[in-house]
Amino acid sequence: MSFRQPSILPGFGLTFGFTTLFLSIIVLLPLAALVLSAASMHWADFVNTVFSARAIGSYRLSFGASLLAASINLVFGFIIAWTLVRYEFPGRKIIDALIDMPFALPTAVSGIALTTVFAQNGWIGQYLEPLGIKVAYTWIGVTLALTLISMPFTVRAVQPALLEVQRDLEEAAETLGASRLYAFRRIILPTVLPAILTGFTLSFARAVGEYGSVIFIAGNLPMKTEITPLLIVIHLEQFDYQGAAALGLVMLVISFVMLLAINLIQGWGRRRHVGLAR
Amino acid sequence: MSIVLDQVTKLYAGAPVVNDVSLDIGDGEFFVLLGPSGSGKSTLLRAVAGLSGVDHGRIALHGRDVTHVAARKRGVGLVFQNYALFQHMSVADNIEFALRVRRMRARARRQRRQELLRLVSLEGMDERLPAQLSGGQQQRVAVARALAHKPEVLLLDEPFGALDAKIREELRRTIREVQRELGITTVLVTHDQEEAFAMADRIGIMNLGRLLEMGEPHELYSRPATRFVATFLGAANLILARRTPDGIQIGAATVAAAERASGERENEVVTVVRPEEVEVAATRADLSAGYLTSGVVDEVVFTGALERLRLRLDPAEHGTLLAFGDEDSTPALQVTRTQHEQRGFEVHPGQIVAIGVRRVHVLPTPLSSFTACAGTAARAEALKGQLLLTELAARMKTRIGTRTEPQLGLSEAPCQGSDTFVGTTVIAAGPEGAQQAEWLLRRGARDLLALPADARAPQRVLIHWTGESARSATLAISASVLRHVPAEAVYLGIVAGDAASPAHPHGMRELLDARSEAQRSHGLEMRTELHFGDGERQLTRRLAEAPGQMLILGVTDLADFTQRFHGLLQGACPVLIVHRGAA
Repeated sequence: MSFRQPSILPGFGLTFGFTTLFLSIIVLLPLAALVLSAASMHWADFVNTVFSARAIGSYRLSFGASLLAASINLVFGFIIAWTLVRYEFPGRKIIDALIDMPFALPTAVSGIALTTVFAQNGWIGQYLEPLGIKVAYTWIGVTLALTLISMPFTVRAVQPALLEVQRDLEEAAETLGASRLYAFRRIILPTVLPAILTGFTLSFARAVGEYGSVIFIAGNLPMKTEITPLLIVIHLEQFDYQGAAALGLVMLVISFVMLLAINLIQGWGRRRHVGLAR
Repeated sequence: MSIVLDQVTKLYAGAPVVNDVSLDIGDGEFFVLLGPSGSGKSTLLRAVAGLSGVDHGRIALHGRDVTHVAARKRGVGLVFQNYALFQHMSVADNIEFALRVRRMRARARRQRRQELLRLVSLEGMDERLPAQLSGGQQQRVAVARALAHKPEVLLLDEPFGALDAKIREELRRTIREVQRELGITTVLVTHDQEEAFAMADRIGIMNLGRLLEMGEPHELYSRPATRFVATFLGAANLILARRTPDGIQIGAATVAAAERASGERENEVVTVVRPEEVEVAATRADLSAGYLTSGVVDEVVFTGALERLRLRLDPAEHGTLLAFGDEDSTPALQVTRTQHEQRGFEVHPGQIVAIGVRRVHVLPTPLSSFTACAGTAARAEALKGQLLLTELAARMKTRIGTRTEPQLGLSEAPCQGSDTFVGTTVIAAGPEGAQQAEWLLRRGARDLLALPADARAPQRVLIHWTGESARSATLAISASVLRHVPAEAVYLGIVAGDAASPAHPHGMRELLDARSEAQRSHGLEMRTELHFGDGERQLTRRLAEAPGQMLILGVTDLADFTQRFHGLLQGACPVLIVHRGAA
């Protein structure tokens, strides 16, 4: 690596310096402040805050619902992306544009809209009520909100990868005797799997950090439908900045571990593919 | 027979992209489907592979009807232009793909893979990923992969398109060797005629969805039957000539015709003169071949082994010698000369030379050129610019002349121009259409096209004749028209009376006879329809049924012509009248 390719942007020194500075100010510094703030607590207070039954309940809901939402999007986001890439139908452009709506909408608006529809007297909620299914003010509502706001990430991550899969490959597999399922499993899926995992990761990360849309539909019953970000806000409202920071730190650690794990799985999958081709 | 296609038709958005193709390919044969892009050759190959269905017709592989069998059960190997290798799999996994699908044991798979890699000379490349191979090597892998499951038929879809010339040459040789060694029936699709010549046992040439001609490369090159094949396979000069009792009169030369005319009287024909069959010399006396005309050297291009000339023909002598190009611009003749010929007589641009032809091939096409005929010169010129006519002429690479007949349609009035009618005479359809048509037909015009002003290329050509002696000429002209128009051919059988009448079985036989003759003698596939009632009325009714139709009508008898065909020639659609007197 003794010589570098010339490029249109100024040299490596400048761009790397900028990258470091930018990340430091925008990402690392606030995180450090968070850690420092939490570190100034007494150990016993920290444990009390972080492992209180209410906090643990909120972790379970936050991460559980986020994982579930990301998984739902994994399946349905893939199907939506497939439909948009593979078929030509009237209104395709409109549907394509609709995918991005959850991006653009203030999340509170999504939350209010969902509540209107799924509340016990809402458009859909009134029919679910007699069936014994409650959506609003339960964990189902939380998952629904998280699914809505994280859906674009999966679709937009998978779409370009699907575009790359040429029809020829499927046709080649077909003439070689493969059934559709076999061709899907052995040819299409391996090709788009990295993109699917990326979509899953992004969806999950977005869902964990979501606050605005959930608080309207969740009902916010402690231990039941209270998500961690909300608990943090509650601490803040009581001027318990340290408690809030402690909870934030826990979220940070769990999120980081999970994202790291997904990335490792992804890397391992890639190696395994090359390895399979031994 | 390894591959049998029977009247295969594939429609796309209502228009046929593969139009009534019938074809038999023998065991172990290397068949090349050649045609320009958009001619339907790839679609046909995909239909054989089972990747796209057919709308009509039958496909059989080794005697098994596979028309409705899925691609994966057809037992074919297909090689794509862009390789279509599985990028995330190694060479070994790519090649073994078909074997894994068939749950073959690992040992047997490995053995088969080694065999195939040896066959395509890629030993030791097993572990590479496709991205680590060159284009030529990737295509070799694709060939090996397509052969893994021992398919009965190997299909190659422009496999050399993405490769550079040298690699292409090498891969061609490899594929030909592999094909011979395995004795596998192979179909190659290409638009490159050189490739077709180099590889094929037999070539089939497609254009506008139709399989125009097929045969051995040499046969097709020296004796093409259609203008398209003549000009698509190598370069060709199309020259209008006259068939006379003494032979073919081309320019100043009369050449003995290789194939005897079928006793027809003197008429215009289209001849093919290959650029290498043209001789140039300083004077007429220096020519060893028959003198055609004189001309001016327009351009000299040195291409290595050969020299390419473009000659402008002397307009004073034979301005309309060439079939293509309009009369205003001077037609050009293409010539190629060997080094040896160049040493014998050097030419420079601007030089006047005598031109001779060594060999002339007469196309069996019954349509030579068009002559737009009207009462005034202005109207004839306007007719000459009619959309369908110019399109037809361009497709047929022929010219459109004009002829003014001030007394057109006046009974008893004589012809103004020469009393011979050359090629197809064109008139404007309309209220006077039938009268003018009769006038011209009675004065010697044989093929007459009545065109409405706004006529476009038809989607369906209806064929009918009254009187048996017009049958074979009508079929020949229909076949010729349909080679230049991507339309469906329908023969209309019309039986006098109603369905219950005793004439019925006779009508059916006529229908089937017509169909089989069209197929046998002219390679024309047509649908057939049987109608009952009065001939002209049925024709008029059928023509009015749908837009975009054209009628080709054979007539023998001119009695009451104007009354009988007045309605037909009103201008609803183009009508081509083929007049042949009763024998």
